[in-house]
Amino acid sequence: MLNYYQTCLKTRFVGFLLALFIVSVSASFAQSITISGTVVSEGDNEPVPGALVSVKGTQKGTVTDIDGTFQIQASVGETLVVSFIGFTTNEVVVSSNSADLQITLAYSTSDLSEVVVVGYGSQIKREVTGAIQTVNEKELKDLPVSSVAQKLQGRLAGVQINQTTGKPGQGMNVRIRGQLSVSGGSSPLYVVDGFPITGDINAINPDEIQEITVLKDAASTSLYGSRAANGVVLITTKKGTKGQTNVNLNVFTGWQTVPEQGRLEMLNAEEFAQFKKDYYSDAGQAVPEIFQNPADFRDQDNDWYGAMLETAPITSYNLTITSNKEKVNTAIIAGFFDQEGVVRNTDYERFSLRMNTDYAVSDKVNIGVNVAPSYVVDNTPQTDGSRGTGILFNALHTWPVMPIYQENGELTSFNRFPANTGNIFAYPNWLRSANEITNETKLLNVLANTYLEWKPIKGLSLKTTFNAELRNSNYFFFNPSTATNQINVAIPAVAVSIRDEFQDLSWLNENIATYGKSIGDHNFEALVGFSNQRFRSDRTRIQADTYADDRLPTIQGAINVNRNGSISAVQEWALTSVFSRLTYNYKSKYLFTASIRGDGSSRFGANNRWGVFPSTSVGWVLSDEGFLVDNPGISFTKIRASYGVTGNNNIGNYTQYALVNNTINAAFGNTVFPGAGITSLNNSNLGWETTTQFDIGLDLGLWDDRLTFVYDYYTKNTTNLLYAVQIPQESGFTNFNDNIGEIKFWGHEFSLTSVNTTGAFRWTTNANISFNRNEVIELADGIDRVYGQFHITQVGQPFGQFYGLNKLGNYANAEDLANSPKIPGRSTVGSIKLEDVNGDGVITFGGDKDDRTIIGNPFPDFTYGIINNFTWKNWDASITASGSQGNELYMRHLFSTANLDGVFNMVSRVKDRFRSPENPGDGIFGTTVGGGNVTGIERDWPNSNFVWDASYFTIRNITVGYTFNNLPKAFKSARIYGSAQNVWVFTDYWGGSNPEVSMQDNGQGDGGNLSPGIDLAGYPVPRTISFGVNVTF
Amino acid sequence: MKKYILAILVTALALTGCEDFLTVVPETQLSSATFFKNQTDFEQAVNAAYVPLRSIINDRAWLLSEMHSDNTYYARNVLFGATDNQEDLADFSVPESNGTTANTHVLNQWRQDYLIIARTNQILSLIDDVDFDAAAKANVRGQALFLRAYAYFELVRYFGSVPLHLTPVATREEAALPLATEAEIYTQIEKDLVESVPLLLKKATQVPGRATEGSARTLLANVYIHQKKWAEAEQILTPVLSQGYQLMGSYEMAFPGNTANKNNAESVFEVQFLEGAAGLNGNFIYQFMPRPISAAELLPIMGTSNPQNIDGEGNNIPTPDIIAAYEEGDLREAASIGYVTLAGSFRDDKTYPYIKKHAKLHSQHNNTGTNWAVYRYAEVLLFMAEALNEQGKTGEAITFLNQVRQRAGLAATAAAGQTEVGEAIFKERRVELAFENKRWFDIVRTDRIQEIIVPYGQRVIANPLDYYYPPIAGAVPRSNAFTNIKKFYAYPASESDLSPYF
Repeated sequence: MLNYYQTCLKTRFVGFLLALFIVSVSASFAQSITISGTVVSEGDNEPVPGALVSVKGTQKGTVTDIDGTFQIQASVGETLVVSFIGFTTNEVVVSSNSADLQITLAYSTSDLSEVVVVGYGSQIKREVTGAIQTVNEKELKDLPVSSVAQKLQGRLAGVQINQTTGKPGQGMNVRIRGQLSVSGGSSPLYVVDGFPITGDINAINPDEIQEITVLKDAASTSLYGSRAANGVVLITTKKGTKGQTNVNLNVFTGWQTVPEQGRLEMLNAEEFAQFKKDYYSDAGQAVPEIFQNPADFRDQDNDWYGAMLETAPITSYNLTITSNKEKVNTAIIAGFFDQEGVVRNTDYERFSLRMNTDYAVSDKVNIGVNVAPSYVVDNTPQTDGSRGTGILFNALHTWPVMPIYQENGELTSFNRFPANTGNIFAYPNWLRSANEITNETKLLNVLANTYLEWKPIKGLSLKTTFNAELRNSNYFFFNPSTATNQINVAIPAVAVSIRDEFQDLSWLNENIATYGKSIGDHNFEALVGFSNQRFRSDRTRIQADTYADDRLPTIQGAINVNRNGSISAVQEWALTSVFSRLTYNYKSKYLFTASIRGDGSSRFGANNRWGVFPSTSVGWVLSDEGFLVDNPGISFTKIRASYGVTGNNNIGNYTQYALVNNTINAAFGNTVFPGAGITSLNNSNLGWETTTQFDIGLDLGLWDDRLTFVYDYYTKNTTNLLYAVQIPQESGFTNFNDNIGEIKFWGHEFSLTSVNTTGAFRWTTNANISFNRNEVIELADGIDRVYGQFHITQVGQPFGQFYGLNKLGNYANAEDLANSPKIPGRSTVGSIKLEDVNGDGVITFGGDKDDRTIIGNPFPDFTYGIINNFTWKNWDASITASGSQGNELYMRHLFSTANLDGVFNMVSRVKDRFRSPENPGDGIFGTTVGGGNVTGIERDWPNSNFVWDASYFTIRNITVGYTFNNLPKAFKSARIYGSAQNVWVFTDYWGGSNPEVSMQDNGQGDGGNLSPGIDLAGYPVPRTISFGVNVTF
Repeated sequence: MKKYILAILVTALALTGCEDFLTVVPETQLSSATFFKNQTDFEQAVNAAYVPLRSIINDRAWLLSEMHSDNTYYARNVLFGATDNQEDLADFSVPESNGTTANTHVLNQWRQDYLIIARTNQILSLIDDVDFDAAAKANVRGQALFLRAYAYFELVRYFGSVPLHLTPVATREEAALPLATEAEIYTQIEKDLVESVPLLLKKATQVPGRATEGSARTLLANVYIHQKKWAEAEQILTPVLSQGYQLMGSYEMAFPGNTANKNNAESVFEVQFLEGAAGLNGNFIYQFMPRPISAAELLPIMGTSNPQNIDGEGNNIPTPDIIAAYEEGDLREAASIGYVTLAGSFRDDKTYPYIKKHAKLHSQHNNTGTNWAVYRYAEVLLFMAEALNEQGKTGEAITFLNQVRQRAGLAATAAAGQTEVGEAIFKERRVELAFENKRWFDIVRTDRIQEIIVPYGQRVIANPLDYYYPPIAGAVPRSNAFTNIKKFYAYPASESDLSPYF
């Protein structure tokens, strides 16, 4: 260390003298000499290959070789700039004795000098004035998961990423700064290499990604205009490292299991038989013979849910070839990913290829082409859903006394007990449903970007791009006669096939001029551009049923083609935009940015075609001011503020039009006559949802940036929400599509990066915590609330609150019953005791005397993430964890899994139900006596017994790696690693293994926004243990 | 450099100025921009205006106007709950609060009627602006006017004063209108029907099943009779007598089958159903079966290839009162009422009556093509008899009454004098038109609610076993039974919530 500083000081001093000399005599004396040197890393003195060495202010530059050495021509007095990612840039002034330099690069604790990708360009991080966060590929590697979003969990402040289902490649819910809308969707806009994609981000191989930038505030997003209100995620794919050719192979394989921890505990066969026995004897009825001796079932348990699960392998291969030499920069990434699911017959395979090429035609002209085809084959049984549609739910509540296997070892096909046992529903065998029903999607996805850039004069860039995205998705469903996903459907069932094909094409042409100029300490950059984007989706769906032979699920093999289930449809939209941005700074200290975008959209009504989205932001690097510059503790301070307007145009493609349904057919006699009627009202004023956002932030670096801290406060108001306002049906219509209402969002985000130790044992910590809040300020005039089945969205409250009756306990005894408000004719001793909210002495559900109230909040108080990285000699390790506090879930499945009539199998907690005043149980579940008239209240009336805290803290990932030294010449580097995903979930939630289902779309057609937090016991998220090897040649 | 920037800006303006790029109309769906342009569009639109009748007839009308009378009741099945909406109608216990009710059947009747009104308003407001064949246009207009009148006649009889929509709703503000008085509604109904009579084709030339001149005249006669406008009724109805309508040879033959005998010589207006998967079918006869009924018990009644067990609670079961109302020797009793024995019943007597006259053999379970006769020539004759008798033309009235009795195998009426004949006509209507959704309206328009429904309710409460309750403790008429006996239904609460006017 001392050596380095001495060398550094010495060279700088010599350089300084030389410079003085040169200036004082004449520049013409300057003479080019050949300088050779070695670049090494600080501390361990290891050579740094691939570092860029350039001569400041010239085009000259080179890159260090494998031994860290370089040669360059420079004149005495010029400055060499040496930089490499992960290190602090060093500058060395050339002196006459600079023949054999050793230049040391310090590990960077700060990335302030890094260039980060922002909307329509890039910026030096210290000059950024918006609220953005970047994640580079190094932070994303090793995790044995299929999608980018899973890799980002816990890393981003203010971004809640929930995995709502364990289905491979599905169910990632990304929500930036808590944004939501009534019906406009809440997913961010994904922009891949400058192209806003319309398809699924999960189809992209995460190994293709170099860097991800998340844009959160209006200043950073508003250049994306009418699509930016939910935030923007910029994805930059890989390029070669200057001067190098690398071939990298990264392979991992592992296995996934569903941990016992967190599974919903259900009754086993003996416990179930005991329940049935008690059920009848408590009611004073004869016990059915089969249940008279529950011990008979001791060795005959059938764990239907467990039988659906299996240990499943996961494998990934990625071959990356990058080359950046002379005029061509190429990256080729070929990937194969195969994840079988932990539910039987689930398989997700992705074949992907990406070829990125940039070619410098001349000093002034660059062209580039990226082409990335991928092909995904995904078969997943219909696991998720409510009773009768999701087979995992079905399996959970199937009687454990019903056999899975016949005596000959084959699967049973259909189970039904005699009617006197209370068996209302007959159950098909769910293993057959999983194994025999095909539910397959094949997706071909091609992303292509091309550009031509011309730099006619210094500082000016004219760039035109053409991008295309082609998606061809083929869904095939075949339900043979031997299986069904539904309850109470006799086998053989009616065989059904569905083919659903989408062909989507989106193209974008963008034309951008950028001009940058510095005049003294004033630095300007201006950008203007315009673009056109168009999307078209062609859909064909054919449903056929009644097959003569299950082996031939063709369309022609069906006896009946279902007219109502067969569709052909086109969806189309067009977007024309103009945009401009001006960036100015003075000495990199006073920062200013303003931008504006105009979007014309085919989705907007004829009277409201163009939306304008302006923003402005300022920043002040306080640490460059005199009063702070010499403060030893504070290495960097910046405060920033931004204000701007963005939009959400997810309002449907044709919402502005009145649609005519021409299948309202009539029969006259025995002949069908086609009929047509207008089924919706048109609104020519319809427009985008508008979000106005203010953000103020602080970036702080302490002790040479050993500790960096970022804080943001934001407040935003979303107005003009697209909403199908209910209107009286005396009009002949159910609703009117209008822009209404206002929601306010606000929150605090903190993130911290700390280098805890340096040197041989290096330990860094990243931590973040976010507090997001929302409140409904206004709905439509005359409407102050919207009810869901279990929710209410009400002015003055946060969105989507759980709504129902408030449980106080169970009626403890006859006296309690006599002295408490009750439900006439239904309440008994031991039945659920609810709060009489309106105080009229009677418990009422719905209507004018409603006793319902808010009974829970699905939104967390705060979410947080913490990531620790360790390196020691050749070892590295990382631990990623994240959590959510205060969020509640509605345990919807209890309407079956705690049906006290014994119609279904139940959660084992029903063992502690109310049996008698002397034996009142734990108070969670009431008496079974009285049948549906009594038990139906706690089951069918949404109440607070369904609402449970679902706070969690999850160890997402632990990875340990070892990097080899002294490799044979053919290898540049080699590393082996082991990684465990979804290691442990700390939670008190007992309703299922996944407390993150909290944002699940439950199919009510509102994207889940008005009805969040419903738990229907879906596909469990597996624990994955994997081992990998990563070799570079 | 300026040159380049200028070039870019010019191009940008050229491209963005192109509104065509941004005009993307739905390609696979018709929209207001492309529809109502020609004869076919209007013909399809009027077809769609008939469609809500299927839902009204299949799922509502019998609940609101037949089971809501002394003709039918439900067969209580204690194993099933969530039956309040139906039971409340039969028990005259529809819960009411501030003049509104949450009863789903009341709500859906309202909505389906207004759907007809909205669709016909659309046609009537636009048809004059589009030029096409005058005869075709008259037929479409006539049907639209008939259907709008039909819907308002239902509404005015169920609810009294209701909002009067005569033009299509275009904005959110127009969606709710103030209540119009009963008189205003009747005036509009009469106006529409009077206008439709000359526009509509006679039955001989109209497509079978569509509204005809005879349909419009009969409906208008019903509207007049409901208002006790006897002379007008006689006048409008008389031409129908000479338009080729006749009574079918037997009472059974008066009712259309699953595919055969539809829109027969006796039919004046029928709601059309078609068996199959296209969604044009009915299943009302399944709703009229007592339950739980097994596949084997259903098979002889339905004759399907795939009979299935049905759980739940059966509705529209003939009461002992209607069974007793048939005179000795009336052929209509056996034709109208059948009996089925349910092994799964909790009653000692497991045999229940059911409405046989609507049960026609068909092929698929729960999917029938049987039409529903709304107006039959038999009712035209009874309307004539009533209109004449009320004007004192009792002699003429008796000849019409006896035509109906004669087919039923009964002797000429013994009644004499205006009052007695009037009573005879009222009784004849009950049995001739039993289970055809006429009974409640007949009781209302003759002001006999107190006279008939109150004692009927007392009988049900006193003898629950006779009204199909099982002999199980607690299985008796609910405490609120027969506590809300009123002429009109309360307004649907879901609609009232959205309207500032009621």
